[in-house]
Amino acid sequence: MSEVARPAEARGARARARARDAARQGAALARLVGPPVLALALLLAAWEAWVRLKDVRAYLLPAPSAVGRALADEPGRYLEAASATLVAAMGGLLIATTIALVLAIAMAHSRAVERALYPPALLLKLTPIVAVYPLFTIWFGFGLWPKMLVAALITFFPTLVNAVVGLRSVDPAALDALRALDASPAQLLWRLRLPSSLPYLFAALRISVPLALIGAVVAEFLSGDGGMGQLILIANGDLDTATLFAAVAVLVTMGVTLTAVLAYSERRVLFWHASTSGV
Amino acid sequence: MTRAATAEQEIAAQRDAPALAVRALSHRYASPAGEVHALDGAALEVGAGEFVSLVGPSGCGKTTLLRIAAGLLDARPAEPRHPLSGRSGSHTGRAERSSSGTLALVFGEQPAHARREHWLGLVQQEPGLLPWLSVERNVRLAAELAGVRADVHALLERVGIAEFARHHPGELSGGMRQRVALARALVHGPRLLLMDEPLGALDELSREALRLELLRLWERDRVSVLFVTHSIREAVLLSDRISVMSERPGRVLAELPVDMPRPRGEELVATPEFLRLEDAVRAVLRGDSARP
Repeated sequence: MSEVARPAEARGARARARARDAARQGAALARLVGPPVLALALLLAAWEAWVRLKDVRAYLLPAPSAVGRALADEPGRYLEAASATLVAAMGGLLIATTIALVLAIAMAHSRAVERALYPPALLLKLTPIVAVYPLFTIWFGFGLWPKMLVAALITFFPTLVNAVVGLRSVDPAALDALRALDASPAQLLWRLRLPSSLPYLFAALRISVPLALIGAVVAEFLSGDGGMGQLILIANGDLDTATLFAAVAVLVTMGVTLTAVLAYSERRVLFWHASTSGV
Repeated sequence: MTRAATAEQEIAAQRDAPALAVRALSHRYASPAGEVHALDGAALEVGAGEFVSLVGPSGCGKTTLLRIAAGLLDARPAEPRHPLSGRSGSHTGRAERSSSGTLALVFGEQPAHARREHWLGLVQQEPGLLPWLSVERNVRLAAELAGVRADVHALLERVGIAEFARHHPGELSGGMRQRVALARALVHGPRLLLMDEPLGALDELSREALRLELLRLWERDRVSVLFVTHSIREAVLLSDRISVMSERPGRVLAELPVDMPRPRGEELVATPEFLRLEDAVRAVLRGDSARP
């Protein structure tokens, strides 16, 4: 009889343990998220109170409630601008990451290629993009391409450098073990070097995702051609400070969301790496 | 017909050839502190089915010798001096380098050839597992690279890690990881197993356990083994023969046969014969004229 009862008991105990775990995790989350949320709420409340009590003029500093209204009045406008910026930023990032990865593979395999490609890559990094943007509009006109190009240029170098280091940072014992099995260079690349470089590629993305957003906004700002940059440009001309604040809030939200998505996928992909601490 | 006959002869020759023959092997390499003379005319032989240990002081070129035998490193002997000027000539040196590959042969063939044929299994001090693959996938990868189908599960069973097949290396202890590395080196059925201080990074207890496990595994399969170690006790317990190397540049000072019956066990360690052999190895390392 006890034999029959035991599994049910065990199930009950497991369920209780699970519930306990969930409660513990909830409490941990509250401890983690609570303080910053509270601090932000206090800051907004103080800001609101100060604007109202001092009667600060709206074109100098709008109250948070006014910023909220600006967002709520025209959500479609922000959504459209944000998605245009997002497409330019992510398109540029994709182009830069692809090219950087291909070049990094060549550079990781040959010091001569590395020496040949590193100086031009560095020159590219040191070129002030704002200064060359007029050239882009002459060559590519307006539209998506010049914007993606700016986002790509600004993210290319950190990705390239990290990818080269990552492809080289291979466990020598693992390399010897696979070489002793006569693994081809392509097999070594696919089975060993690329997976080994993933922690470095994620580190590069943590830098380059916000950079890509900046690049896209700057390009839109300079060209006045769609996206959050154009929205800011127009609101600035109108002294529409509430919209300016709303645009900043939207961009911050985009950055935070993208970073969170990245952090989540990093934990999933790099479960084996020390940087994600634990399995 | 004749072709078949030649092939048969080749196979016969291979069967007769020792698993590993190293003769007059010298090697130099450049380091930030200048040129290092790692090996100076080292000679060594591992017969088919024989377990040979290579013992020597730290940095004496044991690992270099093993890496050359594994085809991971090309032997680069001293630049020959020009007979008239006494200066080293770099183009003659180049020719010397390429011909020096014949100084280490695996079953009568170049190490690179042995590697291409997947005759070699390699276990090093660091396990060198891929941390993103499970234990089973790590071992299976070796079988895939060697192009063989293998019963991975049975092998994991034999080295005592079957229950961890789905775990990742990061979840295992050092001793367990080394068992996985051993399984990976054995999965494609190598003819020569090259082990470079495989127990060197382990704590004393795991080391003892794995030492006995290795003994048990080897006494069943009798694959040819070159076992590099600086533990004299390990060498005496496991080997058929012990080669003792000098300090750098490494030469083989003596070869000591170990004539103790198999199967062996840890209880041998206290026998007079065992202690005598340990002393003999130590004497050679000290430079006494105790060569047999």
